[in-house]
Amino acid sequence: MNLAQQIINGLVLGSGYALIAIGWTVLLGAARMVNFAHGQLYMLAAFIAWAAMEKLGVNYFVAVPLAVLALGLLGVLLQAMMLRPVMQQNLTSLMIVTLGFGYVIQGGSARLFGGDPEAFKSPLEAASLRFGGVWFTWQDVITLLGTLLLFAALWLVMNRTRLGAVVRSVAEDPKLAQLFGIDASLIYIGVFVFECAAVALGAGLVAPRSPILTSMGFDEVILTFVVVVLGGIGSVGGSLLAGFGLGMFNALFGALVSPAYTTAAAFLILLAVLVLRPRGLGAR
Amino acid sequence: MTHALDATGISARYGGNVALDGVDVAVPVGRMVGIVGANGAGKSTLVNALAGWSRGRPIVRGTVRLDGEPLDGLSPHRRAKRGLVLVPEGKGIFSDLTVSENLALVRPPADIAGRHLFSMDEIFDLFPRLAERSDHKGRMLSGGERQMVAVSRALRAAPRVLLLDEPSAGLAPRLVYELLAKMRALVDRGLSLLLVEQNVRATLELVDDLYLLERGRLVASGTAAEMKDDPRILEAYLGALTT
Repeated sequence: MNLAQQIINGLVLGSGYALIAIGWTVLLGAARMVNFAHGQLYMLAAFIAWAAMEKLGVNYFVAVPLAVLALGLLGVLLQAMMLRPVMQQNLTSLMIVTLGFGYVIQGGSARLFGGDPEAFKSPLEAASLRFGGVWFTWQDVITLLGTLLLFAALWLVMNRTRLGAVVRSVAEDPKLAQLFGIDASLIYIGVFVFECAAVALGAGLVAPRSPILTSMGFDEVILTFVVVVLGGIGSVGGSLLAGFGLGMFNALFGALVSPAYTTAAAFLILLAVLVLRPRGLGAR
Repeated sequence: MTHALDATGISARYGGNVALDGVDVAVPVGRMVGIVGANGAGKSTLVNALAGWSRGRPIVRGTVRLDGEPLDGLSPHRRAKRGLVLVPEGKGIFSDLTVSENLALVRPPADIAGRHLFSMDEIFDLFPRLAERSDHKGRMLSGGERQMVAVSRALRAAPRVLLLDEPSAGLAPRLVYELLAKMRALVDRGLSLLLVEQNVRATLELVDDLYLLERGRLVASGTAAEMKDDPRILEAYLGALTT
């Protein structure tokens, strides 16, 4: 086994996990909302970017922002439709409603894009770098840097700006926030739009690694769930740490033991962490 | 007398339970008005209804006017922006946010005509303790300090009318008198204030006018001087027996 290569693989894999999960971190942690259509939104964003490249003829660097914009707009629509259970902080209704959205998105996408695997290609995937025995692509570099930058920006906004304080106040007590002159419904829409746009960016950077299918999405939800819970619900730094930790674990476990059991082993780790630190790694 | 706040026919019910039944209440400009009553009389329901706010989901009817402008149908955050600012009973601040963050949440209104915008210096003059605690999270504060933050954030919103719901709850008597005396000083500078209090004796010493609520109905009202001699107040709240 090439240990240095596995570490690079782990970092790249982990940055992808963290990037896909960043929206959920804010959604669940900062706004106490859930979205079980997260995986299908990831799939939809990948297909929108793919369709923009294949049907409209735009290049990858235009297609990904287009997918981010489209998912942001879809986020406004979805949030407007479920504002009532959101305002009532009814997590059960939100779970059911977002699961429903997920199935609708999956069915609609299958109808629109078909059931065959498609190649969503990034030119950066083909450009590779080699240092001694270690190999990686520019897509890996962009994913890693993009993830670090996005997490840093999110941490700064959440902890050092009035907007971050407003989001945290709505998360703690949306009713009380109204008495401070805060329109909680507007904050919920903003957070949901961020989640949708962030998962679209995640899809734009991570999905080109393998063929895309309209049936994909479930694995992404599970991974996101593990990262968010492992990191400590709502902890931006914790999610980043959990994403990298999980990526590293999967890369090393896959190389040393077997790739077939990585998901089961990752859940074992999750269980062990939750037994020792019930609020996750990043909880204070 | 010009009314900063004028509410008529305020009714509220939770399911089949009537919590308020056609209550009229007014706060004249620059005066301090008290609402007293036993537990369950509907005092908190009344101020919450005025602010358009509630933890539950009551059905509220009636008309609320702020400086003559109707507020009916407006959400609590819009009422707060117009200048009708409520400090609710109990939890009035965010425990995960620092004192500074709690106070910075409030955006000063765009139109401050006829309203006094309290600067942070004024806030810290009023409550010097908060300057020392500005980096402390809400959950680290004592009950009295939390109440100071809750009142301060309300003042930062430049209220036309401040609704204060049981500020004395859980506070030591000395702190209650201190806090209420500070509120009285603000009223003397022009603030209009509606105070809900259990402590009738302290309320009577500070307010200009008083309303007495019983089982969701308004049963007496008048100036503080008049109400001091009202047999219902004397008997039920001041411990004197009428003969």
